[in-house]
Amino acid sequence: MQGILTYTLRRLLWAPLILLAVTFIAFSITRYGPGDPISVISGQFRDPEAFERVRAEKGLDKPVVQQYGIYLKNVFLEGDLGESISIYRGVPVWEIIWPRLLVSVQMGLIALIIAFALGIPVGIYAALRQGTWVDPFSISTFLLFQSIPALVAVPFLVLIFALKLDWLPVGGWDGPTVELAGQKIALGILSKSIVIPALALSLPAVAGIARLTRATTLAVLGEDYVRAARAKGLSEFTVVSRHVARNALLPLVTVIGLSLVTLLEGAFFTETILGIPGIGRLAFQAVTSRDYDVILALVLMLGVAFILANILIDIAYTFIDPRIRYERREAT
Amino acid sequence: MNRLVLGILGVVAALVIAIGAVFILIIARDGDEEEGAEPQRTEEAEEPRQAGELRLSGADPITLDPALATDAASAAYIVEIFGGLVTLDRDLNLVPDLAAEIPTRENGGVVDNPDGTVTYTFHLRPDALFHDRRPVIADDVKYSLERAVDPRTGSVVAETYLRDIEGARDMARGRADEISGIEVVDDLTLSITIDSPNAVFLYKLTYPTAFVVDQRQVESNPRNWTRKPYGTGPYKMKEWRLGQRITLEANEDYHLGAPQVKTVRFLLAGGSILTMYENDDIDVAGVSVDDIERILDPSDPLNLEYVSGDELAIDYIGLNVNVPPFDDPKVRQAFAHAIDREKIAEVILKGVIPVADGLVPAGVPGYQGPSHALEFDPEKARQLLAESTYEGPENMPTITLAESGGGATVGPTSEAIIEMWRENLGVEVEMQQAEAATFFSDIDQGRYQMFHLGWIMDYPDPENVVDLLFYSTSRQNNSRYSNPEVDALLEQARGELDQQRRFELYSQAEQIIIDDTPWIPLFFSRSHDLVKPYVKGYIFPPIVIPRLRYASVEQ
Repeated sequence: MQGILTYTLRRLLWAPLILLAVTFIAFSITRYGPGDPISVISGQFRDPEAFERVRAEKGLDKPVVQQYGIYLKNVFLEGDLGESISIYRGVPVWEIIWPRLLVSVQMGLIALIIAFALGIPVGIYAALRQGTWVDPFSISTFLLFQSIPALVAVPFLVLIFALKLDWLPVGGWDGPTVELAGQKIALGILSKSIVIPALALSLPAVAGIARLTRATTLAVLGEDYVRAARAKGLSEFTVVSRHVARNALLPLVTVIGLSLVTLLEGAFFTETILGIPGIGRLAFQAVTSRDYDVILALVLMLGVAFILANILIDIAYTFIDPRIRYERREAT
Repeated sequence: MNRLVLGILGVVAALVIAIGAVFILIIARDGDEEEGAEPQRTEEAEEPRQAGELRLSGADPITLDPALATDAASAAYIVEIFGGLVTLDRDLNLVPDLAAEIPTRENGGVVDNPDGTVTYTFHLRPDALFHDRRPVIADDVKYSLERAVDPRTGSVVAETYLRDIEGARDMARGRADEISGIEVVDDLTLSITIDSPNAVFLYKLTYPTAFVVDQRQVESNPRNWTRKPYGTGPYKMKEWRLGQRITLEANEDYHLGAPQVKTVRFLLAGGSILTMYENDDIDVAGVSVDDIERILDPSDPLNLEYVSGDELAIDYIGLNVNVPPFDDPKVRQAFAHAIDREKIAEVILKGVIPVADGLVPAGVPGYQGPSHALEFDPEKARQLLAESTYEGPENMPTITLAESGGGATVGPTSEAIIEMWRENLGVEVEMQQAEAATFFSDIDQGRYQMFHLGWIMDYPDPENVVDLLFYSTSRQNNSRYSNPEVDALLEQARGELDQQRRFELYSQAEQIIIDDTPWIPLFFSRSHDLVKPYVKGYIFPPIVIPRLRYASVEQ
């Protein structure tokens, strides 16, 4: 147990360095890229002198290195992520991100659950039917979904379910609202507006999970204890559910992190196309309107999320697989 | 160990089943509701429409601070919540708002000083109140104008609108703590002195930059006051949920008469506006050119609810006159004569967008633009190109037309224009798309040879186009046009007090500019909307003005 603790601490010590690198890259890209938020909000008023004054007022005229220093000081010492300039002028960044994050999390959670709920049975089934046409067919069906980019899949789903069948809304985000930390959040998971984004996000993730499940199941099927279970005359269902699945599913914990990547990737397009007020759409908005602090806050947030997810997965490993002991690495 | 893992998996499985079950229940329930022929409704509309309520779709404002707003989306809310000394009525006439009357030379409100400056004296209405019921006094006006210009406020437009006031530029540059040209005479009297006679000064005060804000509110909550601002306008902010909705409530104490529609809700979430309109979720919907054919069909039920209105905006191609080949006026004219705008209007724009026959959009009250536009004449175009210093299409440098866009597809209008140049002039023009932020900064820096752009007028006076965009040293002169003759006419017009004479000068200047062709005017703008029959008096003004107080909703 102590090994895990020191390991975790060591990983956490690395985190600021990783975040520093991430913010530095993001910061450089925003500052050196063409356009800036002042120019964006000015619209058709092109008054270079006024631009300069407002830039100076916002500290955007300082050397980039100095701006970066100020930014780091505000974020890490004062916990101030800055304020929006070109999305909601003057509104603190966190106040913009927070409600959107809660929307994206709802979508991500449902998508993750659907992906696993579909991927696991498909994988096990394919493994049990190894050698028949069912195996390649089932897996490749989901590989097909994986290969369709969200840009294509979302309009397609909208065309079928919203426009042709008229079962689902064309886009947007509804649902009963709850008050959370001063923000009203619509619970889209309790409305029909979740269906298309959840499908669009989860279907591409199914193939990966199904393939991994299939591989681990095949490995387990060859084990002695499975043969022993069969020899005992247990029903096939009992063998699969008790002896095979239990052992085959353990490695899946590791892909939760990877699935997160797929989900975030998809959220960017899915939310933008469907007009869902989540962080994916916000990111798109922030980039097109050059809202520096919002872009950086999103990058920082995702960085933190990935680092935490990876640490948690590593820790989960030790529980799942007794062969992994982090203190041993320290000893050598 | 295995028991723990099994436990985790068990919890996950339970979660999957529970959420799945809820999910199915919800879908099943929603499905049942639909069988009762109940149309799909958004969450916002679940509460039935209240008596006297108007539901609109809107865009999220970037800011509700009048000093900062530059975009039409923000301005549309700001003009309802705030007000200034003067405003525009629905016919775009200048009318008093917080001022009791429009100062003129006849009523003694405008005095020409011996040193060439001009002093406007405004008497405030005694009955004008902020939304917290505090009366508006002259100090509030002075504070608001100075706050707008103050560099700490960070406005990119304040100087454009308020620069004529004596001392405003000093304050904008941080050289003064107040605007010397604004003087509070007493609680209800204020005088504003401007540098030189200027016929459009009062028009500039109708723009949000010059609106009056509540000093106490701004100073007590500088970061968040715009979430529920106290203005003096016909509507009060009731609720603003970022990205979701804005609810405005009638200001019963409004000094120009309480509005009839008591609640106006703007849905900000976006989505298909036309679908929302057909589902009775909103009462007014803009129609895009893509949907217009269907609406214009007399057999379509929506046809009866269709309204269109001219807007003071122009779509044009700007030519950078400093860069080859557009440094030769003959080349510019040739490119203009080679475009058949009538055909584009008819085929691509479905005949619902007017062709621009000048630079100043049609509909500026009292203004008659020049008669001579650059008509479609491929013969003349080829001839002009042959007479140019480039002696024909063969010697042309590579030409690129820039427009704002994602890079996936070229707008059909641009595509048609490029095809017409190829066909009528034998010139190949390449297309370049840049996303908006890059596009604007590249125009500022004169990086494009030609660019497809638009201009939305800020106030209904030809000065807002002819002077602002073509005077040689104007910061907004994006084609880098410079003609001493035009400059002389524009300078003369600025000081001209006789409105008719002034408009004639602008008309003359406009004609010279059209003939010199730093711009190829393409189309003026027209709005296309659907309005539910129970909504009366909802106007579609040519520019952003307070409009909600004219509307009423019948039950």
